[in-house]
Amino acid sequence: MSDESLLTDAAARLFGDLSGKRNDPFADLWAPVEEAAFPLLLVPEADGGFGGSWADAFAVLRLAGYHALPLPVGEAIVAAWLLSRAGLELPDGLATIAPEVEGGLTNGRFTGTVTNVPWGREAAVVVAVLEGQLIRLNPTDATVETHQNLADEPRDTLRFTDAAVAAAASDVDLFKLGALIRSAQIAGAMDAALAQSIAYANERVQFGKPIGKFQALQQNLAVFAEEAAAVNCAGQAAFAAAGKYDGAADFEVAAAKLRANMAIGIGTSTAHQVHGAIGFTKEYSLHPLTRRLWAWRSEFGSDAGWSGILGKQVIAAGADAFWPTLTERSDP
Amino acid sequence: MTQPIQTFRVSPFAPPPGAAGLRDEIRAFIKQHMPPTEAPQRANSWAVGNREFSRALGKAGYIGMIWPKRYGGHERHPLERYIVLEELLAAGAPVGMHWIADRQTGPLILRYGTEAQKMKFLPRIAAGELYGCIGMSEPGTGSDLASVRIRAIRDGDGWRVSGQKVWTTNAHNAGLMIALFRTGEPGGRHEGLSQFLVDLTDPAVTVRPIIDLAGGHDFNEVFFDDLFIPGDMIAGTEGEGWKQVTAELSLERSGPERYISCFALFLELMRHAGPNPDAAMTALIGRLSAELWTLRQMSMSTAAQLAAGNDPMLEAAIVKDLGNTFEQELPRLVQAAVDLDLSGNTDLARLTALLLQITPSFSLRGGTREILRGIIARNLGLR
Repeated sequence: MSDESLLTDAAARLFGDLSGKRNDPFADLWAPVEEAAFPLLLVPEADGGFGGSWADAFAVLRLAGYHALPLPVGEAIVAAWLLSRAGLELPDGLATIAPEVEGGLTNGRFTGTVTNVPWGREAAVVVAVLEGQLIRLNPTDATVETHQNLADEPRDTLRFTDAAVAAAASDVDLFKLGALIRSAQIAGAMDAALAQSIAYANERVQFGKPIGKFQALQQNLAVFAEEAAAVNCAGQAAFAAAGKYDGAADFEVAAAKLRANMAIGIGTSTAHQVHGAIGFTKEYSLHPLTRRLWAWRSEFGSDAGWSGILGKQVIAAGADAFWPTLTERSDP
Repeated sequence: MTQPIQTFRVSPFAPPPGAAGLRDEIRAFIKQHMPPTEAPQRANSWAVGNREFSRALGKAGYIGMIWPKRYGGHERHPLERYIVLEELLAAGAPVGMHWIADRQTGPLILRYGTEAQKMKFLPRIAAGELYGCIGMSEPGTGSDLASVRIRAIRDGDGWRVSGQKVWTTNAHNAGLMIALFRTGEPGGRHEGLSQFLVDLTDPAVTVRPIIDLAGGHDFNEVFFDDLFIPGDMIAGTEGEGWKQVTAELSLERSGPERYISCFALFLELMRHAGPNPDAAMTALIGRLSAELWTLRQMSMSTAAQLAAGNDPMLEAAIVKDLGNTFEQELPRLVQAAVDLDLSGNTDLARLTALLLQITPSFSLRGGTREILRGIIARNLGLR
């Protein structure tokens, strides 16, 4: 994609529009996203895709988070990228990812269970990684048990028995790719919750003036802004590293998801504190952001999980390697 | 529709080709020239001065890197300078002697100074021989900088000054002060302030140390006793001092020194933890790594903004406040995680003890936390 602002303008317009129709049926919401080819963002042009970069993916997924978009755009982008890389067929309709797999392959057939599948109930294809293979599952072969996360986003369980799969060798880590997706969505949702809080603080009058005039609020919102800034910068850098390392930016993904997780407490509590009672209602538009932030903090790795992984990584390399590694990975 | 806000403009850090080579060069230089230092000196090393090391850096072309060659500079790219600075700081090299001159004094002269001032001062700064300090605070004038009271009164073609500056970092080493004095009517605010280049070797100037709570000497009181400043030593335009001061603040706030001053303690914590620490220590090291990496990205992005000629006021304030918060948390987290005898002799104990005591100053110098958060709030559209 040569013109990033064309892409982000299109995404902002569409996602903003769709977020206003968040209770419409999935098929109605998903059709324009697919029509605009967002799921093909990372698929090379030669393979019929959009030929975008990981930086483009950050910009798009940040906007999906910003609008609390109730759609698996990130999952679809990653699934299509993986399928096309593996030479497996892209479906008509939604391809999503299954980060958690139990079971095994026998003679190229899968028996087992995939859990926490985003929009599994709506998917035409589910992509999973098992025994060093990328497998392409067909949900019509499965019994589907519907679940949802804290923010009512579908996280389904699909059970397969002796199901035919298409497969290709792969060493990809779906859990890390999921964390990468969430880090961009969290960046967008943090900025949106901040923007809403600032707008509300400038509007709401108490004690004869907008509450945004009070220094206590200003200082709290400044801290919120710092956290939002950190998450955005970390997310963007992790996607840049994903571009550099072909999707496998272990250190950066871990650091970005961890930093994003760490910011969510301050972001959500400040947003709700500024909004007062109205922000606590079902009717008001803050909770689609804050409930997603709470849900996403636990998805694809908790603070403890990622800090343990990251700690082990840097400890194994040793103190003397820390700085040289940090600089080497970011130098052009 | 309104464009979704993005608080922090993120710019890619794109130095000219050869960045990795430059990194190797400065690492080799550090290896060869950095004097043996005790662990505590490797923390906050931009407050640790060493004349010999500064001269060696000057000679090798690592001071005034981005200035024109005719003033002793080296016409390098600003992001090349950034690489050199972060390497020096990460190594804990003693760069305190020339730090302010390279970061603020030189750039101010370059931007606002006369040709004669540039020729007179910049080559000596770039050589690592002339050091600087910034005379802003006065008794009664701290964060409220516009309340500066000392007046520079016209005397022939020059000026006369009597009064006292305070909290002046590095004045005891510096030959040159950039001083903010009032040239307009008494009682003014932002108007009527001017900047001057003050020769600190003048007998009418007295510098007295202020020893900090840890026994260190960074701060000074500086007294002017009927000091005569020649007319050609005004810096920039008479009455434009406030504008000149605030235009330079982003340079001071977003550099690598704002998150990397305590890096020596992080490394020492890793050494203390060894190859097989428990889960809590592993998680702590992981968390600190993520924060360090993020702050570095933010600082580099802001450097790229500056290099592109923008004034990232908001981004710089965010980097400084977040960096300060991280650096103040680090020694506290180490203290909480490790059983330490703080009066003990291990490197970890000495670094922790020092940084517990001196990090409170990090959110005072260069703009207090409250001022910075006020700037951030204003830039967000509050106030």
